[in-house]
Amino acid sequence: MLVNPVRSKGARRRLVPVLLLATGLLVGACAGAPADSAEDGADGIRDPLEPMNRLIFSMNLAADTVVIRPAADLYRTIIPRPGRDAVRSFLRNLESPVILANDILQGELSRAGITTVRFLINSTAGIAGLFDVAAKMGYERHSEDFGQTLGRYGMDEGFFLMLPILGPSSFRDALGLGVDFYFDPLNYWADNTGHEELMVARTVVRGIDARSRTIETLDEIERTSIDFYATVRSLYRQQRNDEIRNGEMPSLPPLPDYTRFSGPDDSESVAAGD
Amino acid sequence: MRYLAALSLALILTVAAGPRLYAAENDAAILQVSAAENDIAVRFVTDLGDNAIQMLVNDTLDQNQRLDEFRRLLVVGFDIPLISRYVLGRYWRRASPEERNEYLHLFEEFLVRTYAARLGQYGGETLEIKTARTDGDRDVIVRSEIIPSDGPAVRVDWRVRNFDGNYRIIDVVVEGISMIITQRDEFAAVIESSGGRVEGLLAELRSRTQ
Repeated sequence: MLVNPVRSKGARRRLVPVLLLATGLLVGACAGAPADSAEDGADGIRDPLEPMNRLIFSMNLAADTVVIRPAADLYRTIIPRPGRDAVRSFLRNLESPVILANDILQGELSRAGITTVRFLINSTAGIAGLFDVAAKMGYERHSEDFGQTLGRYGMDEGFFLMLPILGPSSFRDALGLGVDFYFDPLNYWADNTGHEELMVARTVVRGIDARSRTIETLDEIERTSIDFYATVRSLYRQQRNDEIRNGEMPSLPPLPDYTRFSGPDDSESVAAGD
Repeated sequence: MRYLAALSLALILTVAAGPRLYAAENDAAILQVSAAENDIAVRFVTDLGDNAIQMLVNDTLDQNQRLDEFRRLLVVGFDIPLISRYVLGRYWRRASPEERNEYLHLFEEFLVRTYAARLGQYGGETLEIKTARTDGDRDVIVRSEIIPSDGPAVRVDWRVRNFDGNYRIIDVVVEGISMIITQRDEFAAVIESSGGRVEGLLAELRSRTQ
């Protein structure tokens, strides 16, 4: 039902720039430095667009300081917690079709069932999604997106990407973002009825709500980071990998057993950890 | 991303746990069986958490005493030398003996300063052990949840290594985010942006630990 939506002209118009962007970035990356060489960053981070990414990151930080964070702060101040939770539940309920599509594509049928049941319960008993009553009944929410689906099918994350306003991403996840757009029936509805502004509003509110929940955490990470960009890049990659594993125990890096309390002079006896 | 808050709490919960780091179990020669080993690791983390909470709610300690205790216990609860060296990655080999010495000192100080800032912020969280599994020859990964007084639980995996009967934490993984990988990625970026010189990182660490 959702996987095969009616193609509207507007939707098709938008696909072209997405694909152009994606292929353009791909070509750019291939022309860049060789990926994942021994001289790469720790743990094989591929960031051939790093100068551009860092520039976008600093622009995002500026936009955050001037607009996003103050808006999130104001939102948090004027709307009490239950109101904000209702906003988030409502928006999350609208995401159900996208999550369901990706549950199915990953072959996670029991999770697809949970997503469906949640949508049915919360849309009715939860008053159009304003209240997450399904979670209280034991149907916990999970997120899925096409970036994760590609990851489950073994697609590598590709190179790191800092998107304007949207923040950290990767080639794979940015591609997924574009595909998820077409999984969302609301986008077709908005397109057909000329209500694109509602989709913009949804994105803005979702962003402000999300930001309002991370003010202290991000402040703390920024405060304790030496290189904020590198930390965000690392956190993003690890978080995405965790999401793709659906929270299963991580495969931790091999950690050589250096001599305990080894002094600074034993270097050549043990291989370094990379 | 509640990563840092949870990591800070996790570190505080464990390192604040008091000096009794499994002397009794260490003596016992029951470590060959991996199930038994899992149990020991679980008990290690459980007791650390319990003791940490006791320490955090102990009103008789002032902020400085807590800081001193935190520093002391960080050093005995975690294998800081092993973590330090992993975090520096391939740059360890490029560092001179003097740089290594200074790095080991600065990194420990950096850890203390980074996490001790949150010592006063205990809000009634509890640590609940879920499962444990062996990982490789001598590591046990203990899965736990930190449960705040309100809000969702935070998943924390502890990587505990058995050094001939001495248990030490070698990594804390919060919601899938590894402390040592995060730190290593960042340090690598800092060194790369100063032209591959370890001195660039040392300078940053120096200015942050003064």
